[in-house]
Amino acid sequence: MMHKLNTGTVVALLLPLCALMLVFFLWPLGLVGWTSIYDNGLTLDGYTRVATSSLIHKVMANTLEISVIATLTSLVLGYAIAMHLARMSPARRGPYLVMVMLPFWTSILVKSFAFTIVLGNAGIINQFLQWISGGSWHIEMLFNRAAVVVGMTNYLLPFMVLPIMASLLNQNRNLKFAAEIMGAGPLRIFTRITLPLSLPGVFAGVLMCLTLSLGMYITPALLGGRQDMMLANLVDFYTRQTLDWTLASAIAIVLLVFSCALILMLIRAQRNQEAAN
Amino acid sequence: MNKKFPQRNDPARQSGQAVEPSRRSILKTAGILAGSSVLGFPAIVRAQAKSITVTCWGGSYEAAVRKSFAEPFTKETGIGVTLVNSADLPRMKVQVDSKNVSWDVFDSIGPQIMAGSEAGLWETIDTAIVDTSGLIQQTGPDHVGTYFYAGGIGFDPARHPEGKHPTNFAEFWDVKAFPGRRGLRSRISENLEMALLADGVDPNKLYPLDIERGFKALDRIKPAIQKWIETTPETVTLIGSKELDFTYTYLSRVLPAKAAGMSVAISLRQTLNSLEYLAVPKYGKKTKEAMQYVAFCLRPKQQAAFCEQVTFSPNAAKALELASEQAKANMPDMNDPNCVIINDAWWGKHYEQLQRRFTEWMLT
Repeated sequence: MMHKLNTGTVVALLLPLCALMLVFFLWPLGLVGWTSIYDNGLTLDGYTRVATSSLIHKVMANTLEISVIATLTSLVLGYAIAMHLARMSPARRGPYLVMVMLPFWTSILVKSFAFTIVLGNAGIINQFLQWISGGSWHIEMLFNRAAVVVGMTNYLLPFMVLPIMASLLNQNRNLKFAAEIMGAGPLRIFTRITLPLSLPGVFAGVLMCLTLSLGMYITPALLGGRQDMMLANLVDFYTRQTLDWTLASAIAIVLLVFSCALILMLIRAQRNQEAAN
Repeated sequence: MNKKFPQRNDPARQSGQAVEPSRRSILKTAGILAGSSVLGFPAIVRAQAKSITVTCWGGSYEAAVRKSFAEPFTKETGIGVTLVNSADLPRMKVQVDSKNVSWDVFDSIGPQIMAGSEAGLWETIDTAIVDTSGLIQQTGPDHVGTYFYAGGIGFDPARHPEGKHPTNFAEFWDVKAFPGRRGLRSRISENLEMALLADGVDPNKLYPLDIERGFKALDRIKPAIQKWIETTPETVTLIGSKELDFTYTYLSRVLPAKAAGMSVAISLRQTLNSLEYLAVPKYGKKTKEAMQYVAFCLRPKQQAAFCEQVTFSPNAAKALELASEQAKANMPDMNDPNCVIINDAWWGKHYEQLQRRFTEWMLT
């Protein structure tokens, strides 16, 4: 189905996007980079403070930990959902896909508030637990790390489900039939055929979820406890409250480098995987 | 960051308080632009000289500012006032840094005004125009306080009737006598004052704050705090949703929520009172007119009119005499030593360093 395009057409098609990215992404990003090293003269002060502040180190570790946990939860849940969806007939899949997409269309702020009603001390789940236990059961589910992970997973799921489902749908069904004929059980078919062939989708999903969660801001602020602060919250603090833009930019750039390094690692892992196949 | 009023990442703002330009207003502006291009450039300059832009917080606040400051000011001086909402300090800084200032008066809370002062954004207040002698709280040379907003302990009177809820900070700290789920703000200012008052420091001898003693007192309340609240609306909504029993919240938030039917109240027996400020940015094109506006806002008559409409206390001493009994009933008694005035100048020097320590303290 691939059509060959000549170079001129490719350039013409890509030009508007490149121009847009240059003006609205690269230029502001360059400004952030410049602000991080310029404060009435060139300075590395911002980066020195990032390197020496135990607060920033703690928050950085937090950010990484929460992002990885949320991405893994999304992967497990998302894979199961994607497999279920891939098995359906296209007509049936429609309404279910809408349900997957629903979080996409809801403001993250509204969702975070809604989770207060679901997970809260006086929330639906705890009220139900109290009702069936006669008042003795109660689980703290809000204002802690679990709540942050739940909130983030809810936001991330569509980004995980869609690429995995696409790669599952692309698989040649005859491979499975062949394996069945050769006597493979469902588990073996999954581990030897379905899973390896879906890895590009998994990589794409993990990549998106990880990058998105590294920059999360509202969810940890609204659902988290005191130990769930993330780097974006610190950037906000230094940008808006203390006007320390050198430090804010330095943190932002470090976060960017951080994400890029993770992405590179993932891409390399994917290449190795492909080479091994 | 004080989010007493809706701000950029503030849920209340995003839930639709933002003032969006209607199609008609855009058409109108386009018409004016087209018209002025016909008349030539000087027409724009003339129109601008007769109008200043003042930042604002939207909602009922904007209505009160318009009615008691902006409109009477225009009537008296002929200078128009445009109120702009969702103004924040970073955008003000960009304007001053680029010397392209479009906001003539910046209306904001202590931490923002102090940070701006530190960054050298504000023009010195012209005392030949602005008379600051009658103010309750005198402040720095480049800003003036307009009114006080009170913070205190919020609770649900239906769940915690009289005697079952803390009324002052010592009682808030007393987890045994007043069991309940508690919420404090996620910033050090106000928390440190509360901790020291709870620890028995004389309200009259609060400043300079005893930082070490304050953090020790905070250590005691730390395990009892369910949520360190990031946004101001949550200080009320978390009580409404029965998620928390006692929070530090603001009179200006509790009264509208109560009027809207929520079962929530605030104890005025011990309050922290913070000033709202006006400042005039450097490199403004209408600095003189801006100073005139600032002076106008400090007049007792205007201050009294403003405080009738919103739940704040005036900074002009004489305005209190002019306020109605009804308005006074909703104001904390500023003569009561338990009603502490937050010292923003002290915080201006210590905020960044202490907030960093506080955040680290929260993370461990």
